[in-house]
Amino acid sequence: MSTTRKRVYGYLAEFKSASSLYKAAEKVRDAGFKKWDCYSPYPIHGLDGAMGMKRSILPWFVFFGGMTGTFTGFFLASATQTNVWSWVPGLAKAIETYPTIVQAKPTNIFTVPAFFPIMFELTILFSGFTVLFGLLALMKLPRLNHPLFASNQFHRATDDGFFIAVEARDAKFSPEATRSFLEGIGGTSIELVEEEDS
Amino acid sequence: MAHHHVTSADIPANGEHLDPSKVSRVKSLALGVAGIGSLISVWLLFFGPEKYQGWYSYSWVFALFFFFTLAIGGCFWTLLHNVSNSSWGTSVRRIFENLGSVFPWLFIFAIPLLFPGVQKYLFEWMTIHREATGDIHKYLEDHNPLLAHKFFYMNIFWWYVRFFAYFICMGLVINHLRKLSTGQDTDPNPGTRRLFSARSRSTGTLIIFACTITFAGFDWLMGQDYTWFSTMWGVYLFAGAALNSMAVIVLTAAWLKSQGYLKNVVGPEHFHIMGKLMLAFTIFWAYVSFSQYFLIWYADITEETKYFLIRNTDGWNTGMIALVFGHFVIPFVILLQAWLKRNPKTLAVMAVYTLVMHVLDHYLITIPERGISLGNINHTVFGEITPSIDGAFWGDILAFVTIGAGFLFFYLRALGQHALYPHRDPRILESANISN
Repeated sequence: MSTTRKRVYGYLAEFKSASSLYKAAEKVRDAGFKKWDCYSPYPIHGLDGAMGMKRSILPWFVFFGGMTGTFTGFFLASATQTNVWSWVPGLAKAIETYPTIVQAKPTNIFTVPAFFPIMFELTILFSGFTVLFGLLALMKLPRLNHPLFASNQFHRATDDGFFIAVEARDAKFSPEATRSFLEGIGGTSIELVEEEDS
Repeated sequence: MAHHHVTSADIPANGEHLDPSKVSRVKSLALGVAGIGSLISVWLLFFGPEKYQGWYSYSWVFALFFFFTLAIGGCFWTLLHNVSNSSWGTSVRRIFENLGSVFPWLFIFAIPLLFPGVQKYLFEWMTIHREATGDIHKYLEDHNPLLAHKFFYMNIFWWYVRFFAYFICMGLVINHLRKLSTGQDTDPNPGTRRLFSARSRSTGTLIIFACTITFAGFDWLMGQDYTWFSTMWGVYLFAGAALNSMAVIVLTAAWLKSQGYLKNVVGPEHFHIMGKLMLAFTIFWAYVSFSQYFLIWYADITEETKYFLIRNTDGWNTGMIALVFGHFVIPFVILLQAWLKRNPKTLAVMAVYTLVMHVLDHYLITIPERGISLGNINHTVFGEITPSIDGAFWGDILAFVTIGAGFLFFYLRALGQHALYPHRDPRILESANISN
């Protein structure tokens, strides 16, 4: 038996259904906790509101990611096929060499409809990348382990268990009061989760 | 979300009904305007100077098709709601149905198109057919091979059959679906039967909807120049119809809410969904209309480029460029905002804006053809071929106000006929408590 002290992650409490988890989440939110989370086998509509979560900043990343795609597409197509950028000193030489004339379309800005498909596609591609990588970054994923994995009951969160975990890092956390609070809002099998030895 | 959970105690047993005194004045005013406008229109179309008859025929088609898209869009949303088995829209479904129920009444305003006196200005191909002597197909093969090739579709008898079929088939569908829905309010034995039967009856009938808007668009708009064709025409008109009928639905819901109706059943979540549908169809309209332009521009085939050459001449070009920004870029960026879609007032402002752009869109579909066709018919009466005719826009405004007033009358009449939302629908509570 090890005698070293382990770091406490927080309390894990189980709730019997999605609706009791939802109601408990509203109470945890109203009690003023900040560092806590809900775990459920499936998405619960409106739980973000019950948890008092702010709107994610991700849409803004995606908006600017998408815009970057639009302009990249426009620049790529216009720089290689038209003389739109010939006023830029460094590019003038390269651009004047390769104006692509297709079906008598002009080599100036008015041939822009031809570039729309690539502008559109790059908007989608860049938006998609921003969604994926922005989401992973905001969720701090991928990670190798999570302290909650030390709990023996936590694996049920992917099957039929509904959990709330309140972290010890939270300013309002206290070993006794938080435990009785979780009991008061209907939590069962309350467990103090300690991080595993590293 | 954190709002009050709606239970059956919040739903009045007899449903909410529109107080007739709130709309009776507007309704009678609309009927009066439509009546007087129709009298003037009949004179302009049939008895006025030939010049005005020609000008006004185009005004009439423009206004007719504008309101045609709004009403048939109501049919579309009703059908889509039923067939997709969706629950979110149950509390606004009556608005879809009421908007759709205006559709059969538009037949009244479509009657002028049945007369050769109007057709001769709008549809050159009909004039050619009528001038034919002997065997018509043989005549066309000798004189106009293009029309001979199109004879299977473009012949006068078949055109009339289609004309009546649009109103009869689509009218029967929407009337039946609306009866199925409103019957639930007084059904002594309300169960799920009507819900399921509405679902199954909205499947095949979606094809009737698709055919109606596509072929009515071919017959009345694309047929104005029989040499021009676009395979994207139907879907282009559909995109505008779905978008702008949703705008009308949003406006109606926001107005009803401001009058104290729909309090318990329609909330920010419903406006959010309707706003998302507006955003989706703003994008879809842009996608389709750009694709149509792009394919024609790239292929550069004489028969096809005609449409855009006319519309990129003189002032029409300003309008076309305004469409790119006004009908797509601006509403797209604005409607991306979530808070705006959840607020009935801001969404209603966007709905009005969208409808204004729809007017511009349909104006550019029909009216640029006027100066070209009429100048071609008889330049001693109408003047030489010109991109636009000075002063003819007064007729456009008159036709728009006339048909618009008629549309408003029938719409308000429909809203007052039955409960404002299906209060006994099995899904009404699910819909009232929706969260997305």
